[in-house]
Amino acid sequence: MSMADANLQNEPVLLATGLVKQFDGRRVVDEVDLQCRGGQVLGLLGANGAGKTTTLRLCYGFLQPDAGAVQVAGIDRRTHPEEASRRVGVCTQDDTFDTDFTVRGNLEQVGRYFRPRPPALAARIGALLERFGLDRYADAKPDILSGGYRRRLMLARALVHQPQLLFLDEPTTGLDPQARLEVWELIDTLRREGLGIVLTTHYMEEAERLSDELLVLREGRTVATGPSQTVLGDLVGEHMLVLEAADPAIPAVRDWARQAGLPEPTRVLSALHLALDGPGLAQFSARFGELRFEVRPPTLDDLFLKLAEKA
Amino acid sequence: MSLRDRYRAALQWQSRAVLGRHLTVYRRNWHTAALPPLLEPIILLLAFGVGLGGFIPQFAWRGHAVSYLAYLAPGMLAYTAFMTAFFQALFAAYIRMHYQKTWEGQLITQVRLEHVVWGEALWAATLGTAYALIVILVLAGFSLAGWLHLHWAGALLALPLLFLAALAFASLGLLFTALVPSIDHMNIPFFLVIMPLGFASSTYFPLEGDSLWTWAWLTLNPLHHLAEGVRLLLLTGQTDHHLPAAGGLFVLMILILIPIDERLLRRRVLGEG
Repeated sequence: MSMADANLQNEPVLLATGLVKQFDGRRVVDEVDLQCRGGQVLGLLGANGAGKTTTLRLCYGFLQPDAGAVQVAGIDRRTHPEEASRRVGVCTQDDTFDTDFTVRGNLEQVGRYFRPRPPALAARIGALLERFGLDRYADAKPDILSGGYRRRLMLARALVHQPQLLFLDEPTTGLDPQARLEVWELIDTLRREGLGIVLTTHYMEEAERLSDELLVLREGRTVATGPSQTVLGDLVGEHMLVLEAADPAIPAVRDWARQAGLPEPTRVLSALHLALDGPGLAQFSARFGELRFEVRPPTLDDLFLKLAEKA
Repeated sequence: MSLRDRYRAALQWQSRAVLGRHLTVYRRNWHTAALPPLLEPIILLLAFGVGLGGFIPQFAWRGHAVSYLAYLAPGMLAYTAFMTAFFQALFAAYIRMHYQKTWEGQLITQVRLEHVVWGEALWAATLGTAYALIVILVLAGFSLAGWLHLHWAGALLALPLLFLAALAFASLGLLFTALVPSIDHMNIPFFLVIMPLGFASSTYFPLEGDSLWTWAWLTLNPLHHLAEGVRLLLLTGQTDHHLPAAGGLFVLMILILIPIDERLLRRRVLGEG
């Protein structure tokens, strides 16, 4: 099935159900389901060790699940691994381009790892080099590239065989803000072209900026899934209260929160964060109206801190 | 995956693609990469065969009077195929696996681990055979100089067996690649297993003895059979039981070691198994 066909029918390009993976008896991924359609970005979020990279690796076939199934564009990965891999592009967390080849040589070489061979490969490579701004480095070894251009090469490498589904494992880790923005723009363009994209990231801003849907993992299990505002509402709350941690009234606030059955407030540097719903905020204002506090909508940073705290 | 599928992977296009990758890299650097296999046998043959050999009178080897140079030349052929393949499958493969992340870059495509393993083994075997061919060319030079008299048809007949030998020792090298904790630990298999095996195998000096240990060592040592078989072939143009014995042991090594390599590397590279 071509990418256009898949999009036309709006079938998921990735459908993973009941994924389980154990290492040394420990469940690293536990009954995870995920789905991504063409033209959609699905962001996988979670603290370190939550199982994001392992989930991604199960989906792109680097690892085999102990249980569960992965379908790529309707193709079962277990029974037809080659056909499934042909439709998938992967940009790993570490640079895994081939340092023995030039930038152009890398793209040529990766084309040799796919059957059927990508059509009109030379023209495709020329177009990718130009599109990713790599043409001036085409005959250089990747060692000389800056972090941002190395990521571009990884992205170009993942696209040589015209996949329908792209996996990006922390695509901008270690990049400066300018380079990160450039990679975001490239990902946005790929999404607009109809590619299904699944990414993991530690950057909350990146997840908010790029993802249409989020899937939040904690200790290998899905704890929330959906658009970012839904996930935040489910996991963090409607409002985030920010108080001075040094305020003498804080012990009273903690007592009040405990009695109200609210989660323990989170300490962030000199501030204390407390997640509240609408009625909770009204009760807090009535009880502690004299205190100095700020109310803002929750962000994915709040979610990340909450997840890290739990982990 | 069945055992049959593991062997079948050797013939699949992905294994050839991995082999092709190594060949492409080597072809680009051939002018520097070909220098060691060309100069090493010349230096060793001059130093040991001509130099040291000048102090060693002709001696009887299986009923034939031979010079030390004539004895050494076929042994060096066997040693080259063995050492090149082992070294490539140990050090070079480890560097590609661990430092360069070349394997990971292949494993995110349609290439699977069994193809990477076969590709590495086939490449090491190809290089071992190519280096042995260079040794044959050096020996031809020594023949032209009048220092050696060899049966050249035998050298060509030995090439397929040298490939098989290199493939077997590559699979042994990959075993250590899968097992050693770090590159520094490679000294352990290299100096405790490979160097002693390389010399105590009738390559550089005759190995004889009446003890049960010596008999068992020589009977089960495929490199000894290879060196002795190739020596007879090159010096007399004849064959005996050593060549089929070597062939059988090499096939056995490949059939046993490659699935073990793959299983251990699966655990090491993917964390599975």
